[in-house]
Amino acid sequence: MFQFLGKKVLWGSMIVVGAILIMFLLVHAIPGSPWANYSTNPRAQQNRDIDATVQRLLNARFGLDLPLWRQFTRYLIADFDNQGNLICGAICGNLGPSIQQHGRTVQDIVFGAPIGETFWQSLFGYSIRLVFFAVLIVIGLGLPIGIVSALRSSSRVAHAISVFLALLISIPNFVLGLLAIIILASWLHWIPVLPNWDDPSHWLVPAFVLALVPMAGLARVVRTSMLNVIKEDYIRTARSKGLTKQRITLDHILRNALVPIITYFGPILMEIFVGLFVVEGLYSFPGMGREYWQAVLNLDYPMILGLTLVYAVGMVSINVVNQVICESLDPRVRAVSQGEAP
Amino acid sequence: MKRQISLSKGMGRKTVWLSFAVMIMFAAVALTAPWISPHDPYQFDMKHTDLPPVWVQSTVIHGSSEYILGTDIYGRDILSRLIYGARTSFLLIMLAVPLAALLGTIVGLVSGYFGGWVDRIFMAITETIQSLPGIMVVVALILIFRAAFTPTWAHGLLTLVICFIAIAWVSLARLVRMGVLQVKSMLFIEAAVSLGATPWRSIFRHILPNISHLVLVWIINNIPAVILLEALLGYIGVGLTSATGGGEFTVVSWGGLFYSGRYTIASNPMLLVIPALCVLIISMSFILLADALNERFRA
Repeated sequence: MFQFLGKKVLWGSMIVVGAILIMFLLVHAIPGSPWANYSTNPRAQQNRDIDATVQRLLNARFGLDLPLWRQFTRYLIADFDNQGNLICGAICGNLGPSIQQHGRTVQDIVFGAPIGETFWQSLFGYSIRLVFFAVLIVIGLGLPIGIVSALRSSSRVAHAISVFLALLISIPNFVLGLLAIIILASWLHWIPVLPNWDDPSHWLVPAFVLALVPMAGLARVVRTSMLNVIKEDYIRTARSKGLTKQRITLDHILRNALVPIITYFGPILMEIFVGLFVVEGLYSFPGMGREYWQAVLNLDYPMILGLTLVYAVGMVSINVVNQVICESLDPRVRAVSQGEAP
Repeated sequence: MKRQISLSKGMGRKTVWLSFAVMIMFAAVALTAPWISPHDPYQFDMKHTDLPPVWVQSTVIHGSSEYILGTDIYGRDILSRLIYGARTSFLLIMLAVPLAALLGTIVGLVSGYFGGWVDRIFMAITETIQSLPGIMVVVALILIFRAAFTPTWAHGLLTLVICFIAIAWVSLARLVRMGVLQVKSMLFIEAAVSLGATPWRSIFRHILPNISHLVLVWIINNIPAVILLEALLGYIGVGLTSATGGGEFTVVSWGGLFYSGRYTIASNPMLLVIPALCVLIISMSFILLADALNERFRA
């Protein structure tokens, strides 16, 4: 078990480092610098910018005058500053100073709570809570809808459900979010246009907008994998033995259909995390996703890399947990994965 | 049990015909755009700005029959922009999805068939790309290409094609790899190999036909993904939009319509609803088609 976990952790950290490296190369390939950023700053396009001396000083302050490979090792592992002190990088949990938000480090911005508040009021805390609500909605709606449409697979209800689910998947979620604002807030006045995030009822709309597309996906997966199981011979046997319908559904069908469903939770969480970038921007929700946009558009390198790190660690750990659960549920999966590369 | 299957097949056929009808109409509109669009999509008309669609006839604002779906803040005809936008989406679909499918299939086949170190390296690469936030990678790529290319129609299109390929091929590569692993352990592959089939022959002759349905369903499922990606990027304002007419790529696209709709959301939400409906109808027809195909392959 420990060997297994050790292997997974090693593999996972390799993936995370690779992800940071790709993002590092990409953001450094974007033309412009944080002080003369051509993509967002119209003044910079006309060269009415911070003057050259100040730029040089700023570059030296944030290490942007070093060669690229040294910037990367400085960020990831460690480097000496001007006084010759060794400053440890991301592997010690030091994500570096943010360029745009002066005087604060990235880990402080992302994980640090405002004065007098708890951890849950930090950017990360806000995002995680929103994701948690969204996952609750996904499971609470997606599972029953999928089960109903599988058990009555030829009825009108099931056809209506499957068309409805296809409809949900095809709506771009920013349109859904905007329409929710227009209809619920400005026509019906059910929710305020400017939500107060301390009030849990105001979280409902963003959580629903975030959850609807993955919910439709989950319901479709539940339906397919249950239909696959229903065809099997052992279900016919169970029926002919005279077991109750409830017993067959819960014990025989649902339990056997569980592995594909649980595997699908990885993509669901990914989709929700990607949705955060859109939904947080729409509702000006104080979370990580909005900060990520700001960081990319303002070329705040340490901020981008820090948020990428958080994101990649999240994705990799979701994958590992997923694999462990599936292997403990289904011995066949275990046999396959032990025979091959991770 | 039998009755269920035949019923669901009948339903499948109806949705398949519907989807095909939508696709043919979409392709026809895209191909004949210059002839059927009533106005020039780039033409500014400052006398008719911000018109609502023709069916809105209140005392304050009323649409004109000349501009059926209304105009945007520069007075450009929405219907024409919609038609030309269909053309952009159509070209994107025809270029981006098959190329991404090609790359993903080749990597998946090689990785699954040869195994060992090749497999490990490819899987590390795909997992790395999957653990990055895709939309941010795309935005970064667009910011890079936008500076490298001149802002022309072809370059804007090419950028989005590259961006889509860069993030989409990984999921197919993993899918194909799993399929290859399943097929590879079957007896007929062993037979082919023992009869002296070279790796290339056994891959393309024996394995590929057995996993081609995976690729097909993936392609159909990812066509909506391209349209949604373009719409999202356009909405954010880093896409191919020509909404501002400034230094952006000058491509008329549905994403650009969303971008203009964003600014008139209070006065004229139709500008947002109309392209959303187009995206909705097209993606839905593809998703229903993929469902029907899936059901066929499962039965």
